Amino acid sequence: MRTKLLALLALVLALPIALGQGRTLIIAQGTDPTTLDAPLATDSPSATVVNHVVETLFEYTPDGKIQPLLVERYSFSSDRKTLTLYLRKGIKFHDGTDFNAEAVKFNLERLISQELASAFAFLLRGRVTAFEVVDSHTLRLRMPEPFAPVLAHLTHSSTGIQSPTAIRRLGVGYRDNPVGTGPYKFDRWQKGQFVELVRNEDYWGRKPAIERLRFLAVPEAATRMALVETGQAHVAVRVPPQDVQRLNARPEIEVVTTPSVRTIFFYFNQSKKPFDDIRVRKAINHAINKEEIVKFVLGGFGRVSDAPISPGIFGYTKVGSYEYNPNLARQLLAQAGYTAQNPLRITIHSPNGRYLQDIRVTEAVQSQLRAVGVQAQIQTLEWGAYLAATNQPRERNEIQMAMLGWGTVTGDADYGLYGLFHSSQQAPNGFNRGFYANPRLDRVLEQARVATNPQARQQLYRTAMQIIYNDVPWVFLHSEQQVTAIRREVQGFVVHPTERLIASGASFRTSAER
Amino acid sequence: MTTYIFRRLLTVIPTLLGVLLAVFLMVRLAPGDPAQLLAGEFATPEALAEIRKRFGLDQAWHVQLGLYLANVVQGDLGESVRTRKPVSYELATYFPNTLRLTLGAMLVALLVGIPAGIIAALRPGTIFDLLAMLGALIGVSMPVFWFGLMAILIFAVGLGWFPVAGTGSLWHLVLPAITLSTGTTAILARMTRSAMLEVLSQDYIRTARAKGLPGRVVVFKHALRNALIPVVTVAGLQFGTLLEGAVITETVFAWPGIGQLLVGSILARDYPVVQGAVLLIAVAFILINLVVDLLYGAIDPRIRYE
Repeated sequence: MRTKLLALLALVLALPIALGQGRTLIIAQGTDPTTLDAPLATDSPSATVVNHVVETLFEYTPDGKIQPLLVERYSFSSDRKTLTLYLRKGIKFHDGTDFNAEAVKFNLERLISQELASAFAFLLRGRVTAFEVVDSHTLRLRMPEPFAPVLAHLTHSSTGIQSPTAIRRLGVGYRDNPVGTGPYKFDRWQKGQFVELVRNEDYWGRKPAIERLRFLAVPEAATRMALVETGQAHVAVRVPPQDVQRLNARPEIEVVTTPSVRTIFFYFNQSKKPFDDIRVRKAINHAINKEEIVKFVLGGFGRVSDAPISPGIFGYTKVGSYEYNPNLARQLLAQAGYTAQNPLRITIHSPNGRYLQDIRVTEAVQSQLRAVGVQAQIQTLEWGAYLAATNQPRERNEIQMAMLGWGTVTGDADYGLYGLFHSSQQAPNGFNRGFYANPRLDRVLEQARVATNPQARQQLYRTAMQIIYNDVPWVFLHSEQQVTAIRREVQGFVVHPTERLIASGASFRTSAER
Repeated sequence: MTTYIFRRLLTVIPTLLGVLLAVFLMVRLAPGDPAQLLAGEFATPEALAEIRKRFGLDQAWHVQLGLYLANVVQGDLGESVRTRKPVSYELATYFPNTLRLTLGAMLVALLVGIPAGIIAALRPGTIFDLLAMLGALIGVSMPVFWFGLMAILIFAVGLGWFPVAGTGSLWHLVLPAITLSTGTTAILARMTRSAMLEVLSQDYIRTARAKGLPGRVVVFKHALRNALIPVVTVAGLQFGTLLEGAVITETVFAWPGIGQLLVGSILARDYPVVQGAVLLIAVAFILINLVVDLLYGAIDPRIRYE
């Protein structure tokens, strides 16, 4: 009896060790995916897992290019209102059914359908109004007017092509049993703990080297770091700035930084005093030392913004950054009527824990503003309440100046500019929460949306960003960097600027290579 | 006794109804919109409206409440806004983990707290007493969060004796259970000590000693059994607290329990899951209280249920 017990104990003890070895790459993410149904996945941990299983028609490469993936080639009609997609042939979904034009039509129609209620329906809804199957592997997308960012939108993970048979057969159960064409197949999901994927041996493209991927859900950063330090995980996301040095000192771990397409900014509510005055908005921009914030508050893990969108996005051009000049800030404030006797008093809204060091950044801004005589109060709200407060219509909107972040995840400037700066997008209709309006900018953004020539679009976005820069609707702060700890036995692991992780090209180094 | 249990169970219904009503109103009074949180900071109004409609959130409160109650009575707790799975499925996935963690922590607390309290009471003023009570003081005052991270740092990263996080084997349970148990262990130790001290000064203990009973029998049969009533009461209440209070431990150890589910759902304003989870915890709490009340009778035969 006693020996049996001991044997059992030994087995139980050996179990975690056995699971940590072998051919499984273990990735510690911050949270468990919420769903694995592509159009319903709204958070990066979900999108990361989905992207290994389900592929999109086009892909947004880590170096910022948009290129065909499930599509072999494509063509636009001369009026740019019809996009013809020629799909790759001979691809099968993981359930053995064929990937074809009908399947693509099914998925894209499902994405924009009312009953699915996907948050990403807007990517195609109203922009593509008909999907016509020409033959088994040719599909035509009809647009009421030219929509230049359409290819970029077809790179978004919510437009992934999943097996219609599986979706119909599994119903609600599909949400935790995705079936796509990707390099990995779904294996199992232990809710709240991990998702495990297994290599697709029949993959149409380059077959992955690693047989299994396991995505762990580990909310506490210190615990994620401990996992990667002990080798119980190979990759850990979101390394806290204060841990970087310690982890880098370990020979078996490498801390990798990757730029993110997420831009962090404060927007001004221009519909009311004091930020209806451009001199005040400029003064605030000149009073804030962005370099210092990136260096000291973010520990260097950021990039000072020189445009409303980040590099690597189509349409990005450097338009500049308001230099740190407290004297100029004081002069501008004085011109606007604010002096030492009558100081400017404002409230800054800031999230706490949503973005990298968000509240610390706001506190730094508060103290820098104090140096030019602006008395700023900080108001933090829990994230749900924060979103609600910033999204109030003009009459009820109490915000003066608030921090938000924006990730241009389609890789096209339209996604990053139209929704944020076009006057039709003022809250609560869109994302323009500072009630900014400039008819000239509206026209440029509309033109860029329908322009057919990429060079012309690039030029239009340059103009648009110059107008935005001159109108100062924001404090242009920084774009974040993603800090990831990766064990050195792993090579080829990619952290994508859209905050997804890509393990399909990863492999384990042999001990000789290490 | 059966009638007693039956009557007790009947009183549960209004309690649960009250709990449901309170949580239903509270989640809706809190600012924030489930649709907005699901769709992100830059969702289109159209998408928000669709999501609200999909989950019936566009209806008046009283209509939502009526529908919800009607469904609950039929055993349908609704659908999660975040995962779009049935709430009962979510609870069935997460609750067993919490139960395991809580039982583990309770076991540690009972096995450490009660003996420590007895020893301290038998040797009041000695170094044993001092150490036990100092340990109890540290146990109550130490933040669970810090203790958990230290435990990981020392026993998982440093010594490599235990896995850092996750579930899977009994071995995974050790650090989280000890971490979660610290406060309860301390409370039980202090409670046992004071109850024992009081009982040990009673006349019948002196009588027992005087008639020459061995010390073991006096302590365990005469003293401990009488001292246990308040200890069991506190242990029962603590069990309930552990059930709902495991969230920090769960977060530190990436333990997929109901606490993590509940906090995640509150932050996402996933009303159906919050309601379901609170309801489940309330039911568990009530049942534990009932069990504690029944235990009194087993400990002290003078107690009768009518």
